[in-house]
Amino acid sequence: MAGFSRVLPVSELPPGTKKAVDVAGRSILLCHSNERVYAVSNVCSHAQEKLECGRMSRGWIACPAHGARFELATGRAMNAPATQPIAIFEVRVVEDWIEVQV
Amino acid sequence: MSTNVELKKGEARCPGAPSTQEIIAGDKVQAPDWVRSESYVFLGDEDIPTDRYIDPKYAKLEFDRLWTRTWQFACREEHIPEVGDYYVYDLGPYSFIVTRVARHEIRAYYNACLHRGTKLRASGSLGHASEFKCSFHGWSWNIDGSNKTVVCPWDFPHVDRQKFSLPQARVALLGGFVFINMDPDAPSLGDYLGPVAKAHIEAWKLEDRYVYLHVSKRFPANWKLVIEAFMEAYHVIVTHPQVAVSNGDANSQYDVYGAHVDRFISTLGVLSPHLYGKHTEQDILDQFTLGDSAAIGDARRTLGEGRTARAVMAEMFRGMFEKATRTDLSAVSDSELLDCFSYTLFPNCFLFPGISLPMVYRFRPDPRDHRKCLYEVLFLRPVPVDGKRPEPAEPIHLADDESFTKAPGMDPGFGAILDQDTSNLFMQQEGLEASAKHGLTLGNYQEIRVRNFEKTVDKYLAMEPKRGDLERLQSL
Repeated sequence: MAGFSRVLPVSELPPGTKKAVDVAGRSILLCHSNERVYAVSNVCSHAQEKLECGRMSRGWIACPAHGARFELATGRAMNAPATQPIAIFEVRVVEDWIEVQV
Repeated sequence: MSTNVELKKGEARCPGAPSTQEIIAGDKVQAPDWVRSESYVFLGDEDIPTDRYIDPKYAKLEFDRLWTRTWQFACREEHIPEVGDYYVYDLGPYSFIVTRVARHEIRAYYNACLHRGTKLRASGSLGHASEFKCSFHGWSWNIDGSNKTVVCPWDFPHVDRQKFSLPQARVALLGGFVFINMDPDAPSLGDYLGPVAKAHIEAWKLEDRYVYLHVSKRFPANWKLVIEAFMEAYHVIVTHPQVAVSNGDANSQYDVYGAHVDRFISTLGVLSPHLYGKHTEQDILDQFTLGDSAAIGDARRTLGEGRTARAVMAEMFRGMFEKATRTDLSAVSDSELLDCFSYTLFPNCFLFPGISLPMVYRFRPDPRDHRKCLYEVLFLRPVPVDGKRPEPAEPIHLADDESFTKAPGMDPGFGAILDQDTSNLFMQQEGLEASAKHGLTLGNYQEIRVRNFEKTVDKYLAMEPKRGDLERLQSL
């Protein structure tokens, strides 16, 4: 398994915000919600649309294209039209940097 | 000697007990006019036929005639704070995308693609959109409802995109709630509620509260039975004996404000008239159940010399709640702080504007089973004095057989009360189906809200089915 990659200073991800980053060729969405930082796939499992412009609240993100919602902690699809989860990634904060394991 | 024989029907009140108004008049911080008024009317004493609860055909009539004409609470404004935010509201077979199209404008679109009918957003979902795009063939609509895209327009020369805007339900805002109505001919929400009830709701300033807990669960009974279980305090002494020690149940006050609104005021921190002589003021203080007790925690409840449980709890709750939630309650009366104010907004919404029981109930019929309904409780807290509005709580969905006490954040005492109500309803639904008697017999005063509710159901069921005209709904 690959190690952690340093991707973004914590200060650039205030509470209630999200930011897409590329790590090892994958588009990862960093989400600061519910007082935690999550790292999830930036691609919706339903129709491969990008999630980064979707609404985030209380630990979930909604796909802006067709409205599928995903739980940030588990990747679980919360409502149609998605049925499959999105990938989630280990995330940690070291020396004020967000690090992700992809 | 009882003098009841000389009273007209509906005039009798619990003998030997102070009235709700007399209890409230003795409080330290006095209550506003909307609390200190009465509005009871006698509406008859004939039985209520029970086919409405047990016949699936009746549920179909309700979907065609009642739900298509009445104002319903769809969501809170805080669920859709930004332009483009949406919340899907479902009622039986009906579904609407409630969306903010401008800072001060909210619309409710029929949730179906005008191509081949696919829902544009899934039931029970919410999110943000710059367009509503169908996941089947990709036709899309702007958030103002105008058609944005017809995929392969060369194949649809017969489609005039100007005539393909999304049809709408009517929308009205009150107290931070978004109400919708499918009927273009219905009265305005203000006329529907009436001036007195509307003034009460406006006085509460519920727009300054936020949803801090939201719990839902299916109840094992017809939606009307479930609603009626919450309309009276008559059942408290038997169903919730643990509460009766601190609840003026038999001397609660009942009021009717026209066909669509009624209420009760059930005082807390006073002994049930059923239990006079059996408990002390310290017992009342010890057994005081609050819907939002988190602020009080395990604080010791001490009754001072010559003081009443009601006065002590008002003072204690005011101070601790203000501190815990960073709110200012200095102008709020003891009654508003402590008592249970239950208002029904026909057909399926209850508002409890008090501070200790700060709830909203919503009941929706299960379109596949007239013996089931979806119950939701939303607890509202004042927005903190620093003005930062917390995001509304994510709903917690309990399984059918799961206890309300298992919902994280639910006060255990209050959860136990809801569990007791649930058990009754299952027994009542089955009992009505088993009974040789085909009518409910109601008390003239304590069950007046049940009668008012069913009279209004009758009014709508006597109407013709209502089906919206597409062109009219598109031009709202």
